[in-house]
Amino acid sequence: MDVILNQLFAGLSMASILLMIALGLAIIYGAMGVINLAHGEFVMLGAYATWALQTFAGINIILALPIVFVAVALVGWIIEKVIVQRLYHRPLDTILATWGIGIILQQVVRLSVGAESRFVKGPDLLSGNTQFGGLIMSNYRLFVIAFSIAVLAATWVLMTRTEFGMRLRAVIQNRGISECYGIEANKVFSLTFAYGAGLAGIAGALITPLFSTIPTMGTGLVVDAFLVVIVGGLGSLLGAASAAVLIGEATALFSMLLNDTLGRIAVLAGIIVLIRFRPRGLFPAKTRH
Amino acid sequence: METMRAQELHSFYGKSPVIQGVSFDLEPGEFLALLGRNGVGKTTLLKSLMGLTDGCTGGLVFGESNLLSLSTSQRAKLGIAYIPQGREIIPGFTVRENILMGTFARVDGRREIPEYLFEMFPILREFIGRKGGDLSGGQQQQLAIARALAMDPKILILDEPTEGIQPNIVKQIEEAIIRLNRERGLGIILVEQNVPFARRACDRFMVLDKGRVVVSGHSKDLTDSVVEKHLTF
Repeated sequence: MDVILNQLFAGLSMASILLMIALGLAIIYGAMGVINLAHGEFVMLGAYATWALQTFAGINIILALPIVFVAVALVGWIIEKVIVQRLYHRPLDTILATWGIGIILQQVVRLSVGAESRFVKGPDLLSGNTQFGGLIMSNYRLFVIAFSIAVLAATWVLMTRTEFGMRLRAVIQNRGISECYGIEANKVFSLTFAYGAGLAGIAGALITPLFSTIPTMGTGLVVDAFLVVIVGGLGSLLGAASAAVLIGEATALFSMLLNDTLGRIAVLAGIIVLIRFRPRGLFPAKTRH
Repeated sequence: METMRAQELHSFYGKSPVIQGVSFDLEPGEFLALLGRNGVGKTTLLKSLMGLTDGCTGGLVFGESNLLSLSTSQRAKLGIAYIPQGREIIPGFTVRENILMGTFARVDGRREIPEYLFEMFPILREFIGRKGGDLSGGQQQQLAIARALAMDPKILILDEPTEGIQPNIVKQIEEAIIRLNRERGLGIILVEQNVPFARRACDRFMVLDKGRVVVSGHSKDLTDSVVEKHLTF
């Protein structure tokens, strides 16, 4: 029983990181219809930025979070301005372009930092464990879970309660008329892309103590994040959250019952069956027209 | 207050010029009715004023500003409010959010909804929390006008505001448009199929055919023979 609980807990902390990656992907796709294949590399950049801040400036992960968010958001903003923005009327080409950007980012890091795995220490403040009977929870993982819930809440507030969110929702529903009422769609898109990238950066920062930091680390993560977006249903924050938990936990449980490889196969098979019966995901957005 | 001045305006969809050399002046507070049969370019001309076509050549200024070098949102911020055919309110937004959206084009950054909008269209106050998409056509048109007025515009551009709307609301909308012009001094460019209303409301009119102005003049010149010649099918 304890083994299962501990495995569920580990699954939940992985799910919360997946959620932050998936949120960024879902927001970028929902707003601009761009499938951002460079998203995993934004996670990787976040991880390396965290490593660099810790190694060269002695800044721990928690203090690094806001810096990493801004830095990766800035990278995303520049990429959107320079490349993605020119391709909005050619959606298929954005897939190729973002994939290429991803490869470039990977290789730039490989050439400048090196291919070997980098280590980032968890913050001392969160080094211990919290025990509940047989359930041993690392404080750091608890922090990750709480933080991702806070990110989800902040994103919800940003989208539904702020003027920026209103501008974005207006542009998504009717770009032409939004511009007739003073909304600069390009500016809104740039900021949205930057926000999504920033979320990926934070996920990368938080994952560093749990995962080896290598240039290709984003590739596997972005696949899982895509699964979260597809299972959750596009355009739904609630869907993304529940799908992240579902996939994180399913992966953890199947890996324990079978092994990592078979567990992976079981999860993917499960998703195929689910998509067969709910092709638009668990909670598809209803008010698109 | 600024004058809007179009000179030899050409406007394109792809490479085909839909508007072929239209010129007009709109003095501050003036009411211009734009008439013509279906498909002669009336809507395209309005879209050109907002920068919503594929390209424009010729001259188009508003006061000191050269509109052709400005983006759609920059034009809106000069105080040009466009109410398109089919209204295009945001169906997923509440009535309040739809009106508030109009204030995004304000340069002073104020975000309140002017009270007179609710006096003009009381139904909007009643339905303030409903989704725009749940309103009837006539209510949506009132909402679209309210959204435009929320930006405190200098010019209101309306594309067939009474098309497909139940008769009791048509009356209300027509009166509102006239009052906005007479009492609040708003310049108005109106595309309209209803000639009697256009004649009653406008200072000047312009009839378009095949992308060109075929006849224009003061409202008294909009005689039955003009209508007979250019507007009947």
